[in-house]
Amino acid sequence: MNGFLYSAVLQWKLDLRSRTMLITCYAVPLIFFAIMGGIFTSIMPETTDTLIASMTVFAVSMGALIGLPPSLAEIYRSDIKNAYQANGVPLLLGLMLTNISAFVHLLIMSAILYVIAPIAFDAKIPENPGAHFCGVIILIAVSLGISSIIGLAVKNTANTSMFSILIFIPSTMLSGIMFPADLLPKAFEFVGKLFPATWGYVLMAENSLAGHHLWPLFVIFFASVLLCVILLKRIETR
Amino acid sequence: MTDALQVKGLRKSYGKKEVLKGIDLCVRKGDVFALLGVNGAGKTTTLECIEGLRKYDSGNISVNGSVGIQLQSASLPAYIKGMEAVRLFAKWNKVSADTSMLAALGIEHLANKKYREMSTGQKRRLHLALALISNPDILFLDEPTAGLDVEGRIALHEYIRTLKNTGKTILLASHDMAEVENLCDSIAILKDGLIAFTGTVAELTEKVGTHYNVHIKTNREAKDFEVDNIGPGLIVILQDYQKRNIVIQDIQVDRGSLEQHFVKIAREDNR
Repeated sequence: MNGFLYSAVLQWKLDLRSRTMLITCYAVPLIFFAIMGGIFTSIMPETTDTLIASMTVFAVSMGALIGLPPSLAEIYRSDIKNAYQANGVPLLLGLMLTNISAFVHLLIMSAILYVIAPIAFDAKIPENPGAHFCGVIILIAVSLGISSIIGLAVKNTANTSMFSILIFIPSTMLSGIMFPADLLPKAFEFVGKLFPATWGYVLMAENSLAGHHLWPLFVIFFASVLLCVILLKRIETR
Repeated sequence: MTDALQVKGLRKSYGKKEVLKGIDLCVRKGDVFALLGVNGAGKTTTLECIEGLRKYDSGNISVNGSVGIQLQSASLPAYIKGMEAVRLFAKWNKVSADTSMLAALGIEHLANKKYREMSTGQKRRLHLALALISNPDILFLDEPTAGLDVEGRIALHEYIRTLKNTGKTILLASHDMAEVENLCDSIAILKDGLIAFTGTVAELTEKVGTHYNVHIKTNREAKDFEVDNIGPGLIVILQDYQKRNIVIQDIQVDRGSLEQHFVKIAREDNR
């Protein structure tokens, strides 16, 4: 096994051991799914059509925005980065490994929801599973991009969770997974469109990879990558 | 003997403050070399520049051989186990994971222990083991025994001597003068961003003058004296006691420690 692969597998195991990922990627989304899935489908039976999409958006937003930044802060705001540098390991590696690990955890959780939602709440299975999972992958990648900015930018580790929650709450509340986004006041609807969760939800709910829903996600993703590169450079030269 | 490390005219500023003002250093292959200095003298900056962890403004650093680094301020992920860390560092350094140094450092029992559960001393020994994974020619140790108990300290000193016997060059920064005196072939004292002294401990003693500590116990008191010239100095002290009819019960004399010499150099130009 080469160094990169070993490091990636190890990071995945470390994330499981730390329990932060376990709680944010699996436990909380499953509890939310069990409670809200039951409530949504009994009050509004038509939500079974979009239950997989809405629960996936919540799980991905939760795992990425709340789960990833502490892992990044552990590396870049502590003396772990010194160990990387002393061994000639590029600082980018920490960012890549934590993102790959989180990506795999979130993809697993999305697959779990895809399987159990129809069984538990008679949720409608997307007609085009390929388009659904492409949407999931794009949403995970873009959400992790935003999380990486929080993990790299917030200087104080203790503040990481606060900033994560500040992004997570509007991201899920205004995305349309709780109630239709077009019922929101215009200002809130506009703010909701700044977050990937809104576009990811539309992508999965419509079960198609329509270009006009994709480009905002790509813009957010590339802007995140650019910002992460700048932040890493700043950390490197500090 | 070939030089393992050469530093010429090393300069580094943080903003307007010039921390290193032209450092010249030379460490011979196979030597244990200590970098000393009071806080803020520029020790850590010098080490970090040499280790490649910090960019410097000007000067030339030439390192002749592979390098292993044990940083004072390094850490590992909280949930990584000792053996996983060894494998990870081995992969990074593209070598096979040789666990013999774990046994040599008395930390083979840490193989399955998580980093967060290790004591400070265990962590330091693990970091030393990780620095040795690539079997480097030159080893940088920053405060290697900080946080170790007496037993751990003795074991580590013994291991450093073993490493020296295998031909490794060791550059260490330490505040423990007894450790430096005990382990090092040569030293450099940094002062205000410049090298105030470089040479062996014996050469330092020669530079600052012969220095003795005299401890005298009488029927009334116990008192310590410091004299630069033992013969005439001791006679003066004894004559004084004799004049005052004080009975001397015990006299102990020892050579000045490295610490005293170090303080003398550090204070030299501040007078």
